Amino acid sequence: MAKKGWDEFEIGAMLRTFDGKIDDIAGTQQEDRAYSENSSYTASVADWRLIKPIFNKDYCIDCQFCWIYCPDVSIIARDKKLIGVDMDHCKGCGICVEVCPTNPKSLLMFPEQADEETEIASWPKKDEEEA
Amino acid sequence: MSEMKKIKNLKEFSTSADRFEGANLLCPGCAHSIIVREVLNATNDDLILSASTGCLEVCTAVYPYTSWDASWIHIGFENGSTAVAGAESMYKALKNKGRLKQPERNPKFVSFAGDGASYDIGFQWISGCMERGHNIMHVVLDNEVYANTGGQRSSSTPIGSSATTSPAGRVSYGEKKNKKDMVSIMAAHGIPYSAQVAPNKWKDMVKKIQHGFSVDGPVFINAVSPCTTEWKFDPKDTMYITDLSTDSLVFPLYEIIDGHELNITYRPKNVVPVEEYLAAQGRFKHLFKDEYKYLIKEWQERVDSNWAYLQRREESRV
Amino acid sequence: MAFDKMELKDIEVWDGNFAAAQAMRQCQIDVVAAYPITPSTPIVEGYAKFLADGYVEGEFVMVESEHAAMSGCIGAAAAGGRVATATSSQGFALMVETLYQASGMRLPIVLNVVNRALAAPLNVNGDHSDMYLGRDSGWIQFDAYCPQDAYDLNFIAFKVSEDHDVRLPCMVHQDGFITSHTAQGVHTLSDDVAYSFVGDFKPMNDMLDFEHPVTHGVQTEEDWHFEHKARQHNDLMTKVMPKIQTAFDDFEKLSGRKYNIVETYDMDDADVCVVCMGTSVETAREVATEMRKEGIKAGVVGIRVIRPFPFFEIAKALKNVKAIAALDRSSPNGTAGMLFNEIAGSLYNTEKRALLSGYVYGLGGRDLTKAHLVALFKELQANVDAGKVTTQLQQFIGVRGPKLAYL
Repeated sequence: MAKKGWDEFEIGAMLRTFDGKIDDIAGTQQEDRAYSENSSYTASVADWRLIKPIFNKDYCIDCQFCWIYCPDVSIIARDKKLIGVDMDHCKGCGICVEVCPTNPKSLLMFPEQADEETEIASWPKKDEEEA
Repeated sequence: MSEMKKIKNLKEFSTSADRFEGANLLCPGCAHSIIVREVLNATNDDLILSASTGCLEVCTAVYPYTSWDASWIHIGFENGSTAVAGAESMYKALKNKGRLKQPERNPKFVSFAGDGASYDIGFQWISGCMERGHNIMHVVLDNEVYANTGGQRSSSTPIGSSATTSPAGRVSYGEKKNKKDMVSIMAAHGIPYSAQVAPNKWKDMVKKIQHGFSVDGPVFINAVSPCTTEWKFDPKDTMYITDLSTDSLVFPLYEIIDGHELNITYRPKNVVPVEEYLAAQGRFKHLFKDEYKYLIKEWQERVDSNWAYLQRREESRV
Repeated sequence: MAFDKMELKDIEVWDGNFAAAQAMRQCQIDVVAAYPITPSTPIVEGYAKFLADGYVEGEFVMVESEHAAMSGCIGAAAAGGRVATATSSQGFALMVETLYQASGMRLPIVLNVVNRALAAPLNVNGDHSDMYLGRDSGWIQFDAYCPQDAYDLNFIAFKVSEDHDVRLPCMVHQDGFITSHTAQGVHTLSDDVAYSFVGDFKPMNDMLDFEHPVTHGVQTEEDWHFEHKARQHNDLMTKVMPKIQTAFDDFEKLSGRKYNIVETYDMDDADVCVVCMGTSVETAREVATEMRKEGIKAGVVGIRVIRPFPFFEIAKALKNVKAIAALDRSSPNGTAGMLFNEIAGSLYNTEKRALLSGYVYGLGGRDLTKAHLVALFKELQANVDAGKVTTQLQQFIGVRGPKLAYL
């Protein structure tokens, strides 16, 4: 957000999360909300990451462990299905990979510059020992 | 009273629309936001929130950004509980006077604070809120240290932990005092509900939060919040460390109803030795020197004795 | 739930505390979070009794400290409703952290401050140490000289503080014991007339509007903090005085009682004058009248609005006098008194600067007697006659032991 002069913002350093009125927040998913420019939803911490998770839906059982344990609201689950990772808000902590119970895992960490298609094409096979 | 949100399983829970946003400034792997999400997602009702000064507060409301989708207030380090109690009082007043803009809503009032802001500097404010019977829930994000200011000891810091104001050194094993038993102290106020929770046991947590929202009166929740920075473990291991904390019984999960009736809510199938919990964290590294190994034994004895005490309390039904 | 109205006589015999409590009742406050402390306790007790007798409908929260009292008021004000409390002295000092937070968050709250000394040594009596402690906190500060003022200024305080162009918290000061515990005749307003002056509370940025969630109490660092503080200062400097003047004018129309930002007494032709606050204003007026009989053309300037400081109004009031005494009822602890410095600042760039001297008096409830003021006016006249300040610039009056004078 542009740095404003002293006479250009709300008194009391008050911030509003949404532009206009929001009726049923708990019943409205992020993509349907009118976030204001002051919601951190509109910001990005992608540049914090050195490593990133890549999601391979072929092995996912939609257990939602990654959804519940993600500290950064970055695992996008809709209609009980995992549909992807929010790469603007993911800080690359790697918790989602650690808690993923499938074999092979459905989420793995890769260097930030790794190519998603390439990595999914060469995804590790089932670990027989672990199984 | 509004209808309780139905959360049968994790799949169902995952349909929640989060009211806490990413691109906050908490460390990667911070347990605070995992706890906050589990608390907020436990209800569909409107929320009025506060945070006391601390990691959660300084990382979620740095101008010009807010990570909160419900109304939220921060005043100072010690008074987050009273801030939300003031808002709750205003809600009651406006409800009685018929001046609420949306009178059909059933807001829940929640105050978040760290262990420093709860066990130490905010202790009196929380005690006042509990005694006065406000309809609020105070949630401690207990990482056993002043993490926001760089890892100073609080009265929640456990024996043997190396904190920056109780560092381990050539002639010291670090913190010398035992952790304060906040859940019991709060329960002694005779409040309808107090409980210890952990984010790994999300179902237990959600059940307790929902129970807390359903009772009339103040609720105290102590949530273990492993701190990747100050406990010194890899950010990816937050849930592993949390598992060790609950399964070693260092953080037993229980609830106290009406100030006296204690129920243990989680019994690990395989209890992990406390040594394993300590060994996984850099803050206890020095305890593994020969001269301090007796402290690990004492740790185990203390945890065993506390677990035995909790079980006796539970069995006696007093 | 409902509440009963109270029938008041046109003139009631009230002390300053009860006058403030009655005004609070008539304003129909939504939340009072309070903690008792001498000498403001009877305000809180009076309000509690109104509640117990069904004359008040709001929430009354008896918290565990003054810090918590203001914290609760801040939470309640941010939630969106009319809020007030009362305190004194050590309680005020404990509140200081939250005073800055209330004003920085631009929350309208009315705080009745019954002025009392600050320890150590501990003292329960009236001086202005607590009032002075609050003067940089970003609050509007009104000063009452008697129970009538304490009553009236509460209505004006709510009116100004809650104005959407202002949204700044407001203190109403009265002197501990001398005003707070001294019963006098107070002209009352009926409940309906009083409430109609203050009006219904109009919420702004209210947390309880679930359709418009707000975040209050953010962190700002070096890239934003200065702008926010500048905004607050600007609004105090430019927006508040006109609103106060309008409120004073409206209140005069309603009640016939006229308040002024700077209260002048016999200043039209005065050669010498005293500038002071609180109950001393009334004593000084009486002595000034007597001095005129002795041939000294004396006047009195009372400060009605302490913050924002009436920089130009005070210069205007003092433009024709020849010698001024600034009376500070708080130990400056290492400098000139606050009023001395403020007045010096107001006059320094004016063409005709009168001789200015400062006096520290009345600490811990020590009486300011008429004899003190007679001597003081004579000293000012001597300064006029000599064409210079003949004493040191700062003198203590009414203290035992060798004469104390500095600067």
